[in-house]
This record gives sequence, structure tokens and C-alpha cells, in this order.
Amino acid sequence: MSSLDRKTSRNMKWIILFLLPVTVLLISFFLYPIVFLVVLSFMEWNGIEPMSFVGMSNFSSLFSDSIFQTSIKNNLIWAFSAALLQIPLALLIALILAREPRGWKFFRTAFFLPNVISLVALAMMWRAMYNPEFGVVNVLLENIGLGHLARNWLGELDSALPAVIFSYQIYIGYFMVIILAGTISIPKSFYEAAMIDGANVLQQELYITLPVLRGIIVTAGTLAVAFALRQFETTFLMTAGGPANRTPVMGLYMYRRMAGLTYGRAAATGVLLILLGVFVLSGLQRIFGKSDAVGDSVQ
Amino acid sequence: MKAKTVCGMILAVLLVCSVFPAFGGGAREADREIVLTWPCIWVGQDSKADTIEEIVNEFNEMHAGEIKVVIEPQPDYDGYEDTIRTRLAARQAPDIFTFKLSPTTAAYYSGDLLMDFSDELAGSWGETFNQGNLDASTINGQAKSLPYEIGFTPVWYNTELFDEAGIDEFPRTMDEFWDACDKLKAAGIVPTSQMTGGTNSWTSMLWYTHFLGSYGGPGVWEEGWDSPAFEQAAAVLKQLYSDGNTTRDAIGADAGVSGGHYQAGRTAMFINGAWYIGNIRENSPEVYRATKLAPAPQAGDYYGHQVGWLHTNLGAAHTDDPARREAVIKFMQYLTAPEQAKRVSLAAGSLLAVEFELAEEDELDPLQAMFIEAGIQAEFLIDHVEASMPVDVVYELGQAIGAMVLEDRSPAEFVQMLRAADPRE
Repeated sequence: MSSLDRKTSRNMKWIILFLLPVTVLLISFFLYPIVFLVVLSFMEWNGIEPMSFVGMSNFSSLFSDSIFQTSIKNNLIWAFSAALLQIPLALLIALILAREPRGWKFFRTAFFLPNVISLVALAMMWRAMYNPEFGVVNVLLENIGLGHLARNWLGELDSALPAVIFSYQIYIGYFMVIILAGTISIPKSFYEAAMIDGANVLQQELYITLPVLRGIIVTAGTLAVAFALRQFETTFLMTAGGPANRTPVMGLYMYRRMAGLTYGRAAATGVLLILLGVFVLSGLQRIFGKSDAVGDSVQ
Repeated sequence: MKAKTVCGMILAVLLVCSVFPAFGGGAREADREIVLTWPCIWVGQDSKADTIEEIVNEFNEMHAGEIKVVIEPQPDYDGYEDTIRTRLAARQAPDIFTFKLSPTTAAYYSGDLLMDFSDELAGSWGETFNQGNLDASTINGQAKSLPYEIGFTPVWYNTELFDEAGIDEFPRTMDEFWDACDKLKAAGIVPTSQMTGGTNSWTSMLWYTHFLGSYGGPGVWEEGWDSPAFEQAAAVLKQLYSDGNTTRDAIGADAGVSGGHYQAGRTAMFINGAWYIGNIRENSPEVYRATKLAPAPQAGDYYGHQVGWLHTNLGAAHTDDPARREAVIKFMQYLTAPEQAKRVSLAAGSLLAVEFELAEEDELDPLQAMFIEAGIQAEFLIDHVEASMPVDVVYELGQAIGAMVLEDRSPAEFVQMLRAADPRE
């Protein structure tokens, strides 16, 4: 064996040794649960008695359930609203703050602050704000002469889903910080050259900032959509899927199947949620992430 | 180089081992002392918390060095049920725990996860329990849980608000009831607290069950979905959600909101159990003093019944270790001894499945006395929806009420929604 071979062999030992912990973690807490989930989706199991194989019946029963269909639809609405509302808003704020206007550090902190507060606390706060009897939203509307718009925001068919989504998507701080960090990497000389050429602020943003940030925006969008697809807490706490099954999401549907001790159907829901995530996120990358180093790196 | 390799291997092994809690150290039982963990819901602000803690501490002192019961605080009801369900599915039943016995949780009795108390209950211990409650906790001859707290929920009404509206007594018929609602509304008072939120639409579920009992009588659950009582009671519930008979936030409201309206004197009628006495006594003393109890008005052929069921059962993990089993039995016998039950009941206002005698010097809460009197006067007791139906139906109840009220669905469609959610159908 040559000295080079011996060195490579020694290095391999080290590589294996140091990869072992993370490999064990990955197998224990990621690979095994997913394999178990897939296997369970073909079983009937109440968590107490032994499992029994039921083939595709868990999946077929899901697709014949109107509440499950509504859950998929709502998950997609959540995902699209993340892409179309949360990211554009985060981008707008980031672009404004990147210009470092007066008090920009305060606003950067203020926008980010909700991200360090528990989602549960935020959901409870919004629940109180939306209350039709004493909630601040209706009081505010009445004070500005829009009392006719006051309603039971979480208890009416048309307003419940938008109200829940709004209460979550309004928190753009996380994505704003990602985009803001991206703007720092843009050389100032680009803007100076553009100014010499007579470009105004809007043109600078359109033709310099946005193209350079494209990869980061796709990254932020991917994360926002992923967060939206796994949505559970906000819906669970604010509407529990109501009123009249207008706001359920797949996570909530899965939770309810587990509460009913039908773990097979819950697992089938989980499998479909993963597939939906893969489908939506790969679609997003295919459309926006082509030939993009930053976007590709997050896949 | 060799030393380096050995160090590297040790480091890697330590990193791998650190993944598993079994290698990570942690609490260890002292020699011979048996430690029993009890994930407990009766903690924090719960009205039973202080007394339960006292009882556990006393037990631990009495068995110092032999048995130690450790309470794991779990103050959230839904979270508690999730924890128990998950631990049972993982075959890691807690040493001691509580659960609501229902058609869904009856599955816990399958297999060998839970301790069977049948042998011990066959002796004098079994005689301390209400026999009906004990029978209800026995499935296929196995008593794998002990009945502890009884749910009993008459209608609460605020006599001051009734007086203000010119109503002399709680209505007996539905005509009188709707008339009373109109008088209350005319006086600017919302008649009833309702809710569709939470996991079980608690307050509305209880209103619905009262009327279900009035239409279907004591055998309504045995009749099943084909009983017309389900639709008839739904029609009354729909009316309760209409014409200002409840608050604007009832659709989507949870138990805090529903109870909060009653405690704030915004609503005149409300339904809950005796465990709520401590809460209202502390937070709304005026409303507490003005509260009286009544059976729901007569909607069908039956009147004078109450909604009553097994609210909480005590369970324990099955064990093959005789010493551990004995320790659990000792604690359960101590906790469910009549004198301890009396302490819990008097302190919290709760009604328990353990029978005890009241002495003259015992100070019974006036509202709790009304509960006991209402129980004695009840023509019959009927289980509520959550105690009689699978969890899926209970979850769907709030959605079906929302659909009936907001989409103007008929009572028949309401029942159809519940039936569709029933996995037994």
C-alpha cells in the first residue's frame, strides 16, 4: 500500500467517525419516521392494538372526504398567499430599509420582533383582537367610520380564512431580514454608476437590486411556502377549522385523525402533505429558480 | 497517532451516545424507592390543584424512602390528552394518569397497557365507589381505570338578571323559555352563553344534550342516530343561536369566552359543571351569589333529567413488577379514600365517584349544595355527546352548528354531518 493510499484510508476513518453522529441522528429522527409514516399509511392502527394492513383504503377514504379536500385547497391558498403577499411585502420593506432612511434600525427591529414571539401567543392575541364583542379590530373600524365592516371575523364564512391567513402572513420580519442581508452584498458602485447614467431610485431597484436579489427572493419564497404548507398552530388556535369546516388545513386534519385514534389515516394525510410540499416547492423552483446558484443551494 | 485515533473514536462514540437520553444521565430512583410519575392536569389554577398537591405530599411523607409520587404539571387540557394518547401509542403509559372514558378512549383498555384493578376492587375498596360509576368503568369484566370525577351539568342562571328582566322563576316549558329569552333581550341582556370552539363545543354540546334527553329520554344513546331526538334537539339549538339568543361571538368562541360572558353578567344562562364553582366564586363573586341551578326546560316528553357522566377516570400503567404494582395500588387507594375525596370535593366544589359522608361541621359551598340537590332531584341522568360518541363526532359538532347557523342548514343536515363523521357508521 502506498503512503498516499494509507493517508486516504486514515482520512476515510476520520470522515466516517465524524459523520457517524449526524448519520445516526438523520436515520433516527428523519429517515426512520418517514419510512414509518409511509408504512403506517397502509395500515389500520388505533395506537393500542396491533396494526393491520389495509392497502390503499386510507388514501381512498381521504379523497372521498370533503373536509380533506377543503384542507388541501386551504393549504394551497396558504402557500400562494405566502408567495404573493408575504414575500412582496417583505421585499418592499427590505428595499425601503436598505436605503437606510431615518430610524431604519428601529423599524428593522420592530418588523423582526414578532418572530421571536411564540406563534401561540400571537394567535391568542389575534383571536382577542378579532373578537366581535370587545376586539380592537371592530372598535378601530367603528372609530374611523367603517363600522359597517365590523363583524365576527373568525366566525363568519367569508372572513374566517382571510382573517387567519392575514394574522400569520403579516409577520414578514424573518423574510425581510433575509432579503435585507442580500442587499448588503450588492456593491455600491453599481448604484453610483446607475446614478451617473441618470437612473432614478425605482429604476435602480428594478434593474440592479431585483435581478441581483433574485436568488435570495426565491430562497425566501421557498421558505415562506414551506412554512405555509406545514401550517397548524394558528389555525388550530384561532378557528379549529371552523366555522362550518371553512378553514381546516392538512396539519389540522392529521391531528384530528390522531385524536380519533385513526393513525393510519393520519399517516396517509402526512404522506400526501409531504408529496404536496414536494410538488409545490419543486414547481416554485422550476419556475423561478432556473440557473440560480442561491436558489439551487437551498433545494 | 494511535492515541489520536483512540481519542477520535471515543469522541465519536460520545457524540453518538449523547443522542440517546438513556446515556445522558438524568434522574435515578434511589435504591428501593419506587418513583411513580403522574402527569397531572390538576395543577396551577385548577380548583383541585392545592388539595391534590397536599394529598400527594402527605402520601410521600407516609411512604418516605419507599414510594414517591412525582407530579408532572400539565395545565392544558387538550395538550394533556395529546400527551397521554401519544405516550400510550408509544407503549410508554405514565405510571399514573387521568383520562375521559369515551367510545374512543375505551380502546385504551385493549392490550396490556393499563393496570387492571379488578382484583383489588373486588374487596372493600370497590365499595367506596359509586357502583354505577364503577360499572361504567368496567369493560369486558376489566376495571382498567377508576372512576374519579363525575361531570354533572345543570343550567346555571343569574337570578339578578332574571329579576331585572321581570322573570320570576326559571322557565319550565319551551314556550316559557322563549318568552324569558324575549324579556331578557328587551332588558338588554343576552339570554344564553354558547360556543362552537375548542375541541368539543363544550357549552353548546351540553345545551344540545339537555334537549336530546328531553326529546329522546334516558335511552336516546341506545337508539342511535335514527332517533328523531337528534334532529329535534338540533332545531332548538339552532334557535338558541338565532335572534340574539346568544352572543355575537358564539360561533368560534371557546370555553373561556362562553364562561367569561356569564361571569361578566352579559349572559343570563350558562351550563357547566361543579368544578367551575371555584373559578366563578373567585373571579365573579356577585354573579356567583346570584347563580341558581335548574334542569333545562321541557322540549319533548321528558323533564327533570340532568346531563351527568364520568368526567375523569384514573389510570395506571400495567407493570409486571409486583412491588411497583403494589405501590400504585397503595397510592390509588389513598387518593380515592373517602376522607381524601371529601377534601377534594369540599375544596374544589367537584363531585366525585367516591362516596363519603358529610358531617354537620363540614362547610358545603351553597352552589355545590345546589348541585347535590339537583342530582338528587334528577329524574334520570344522560351522558353528553363527548362521553357517548367517538372523538370525530365531537370535533364535528362545532362545525355542524356553524353550518346550521351560518349556512342555514336544516337540523336533518346537521345530524347528517355528525353521522358522516362517525367512524362506526
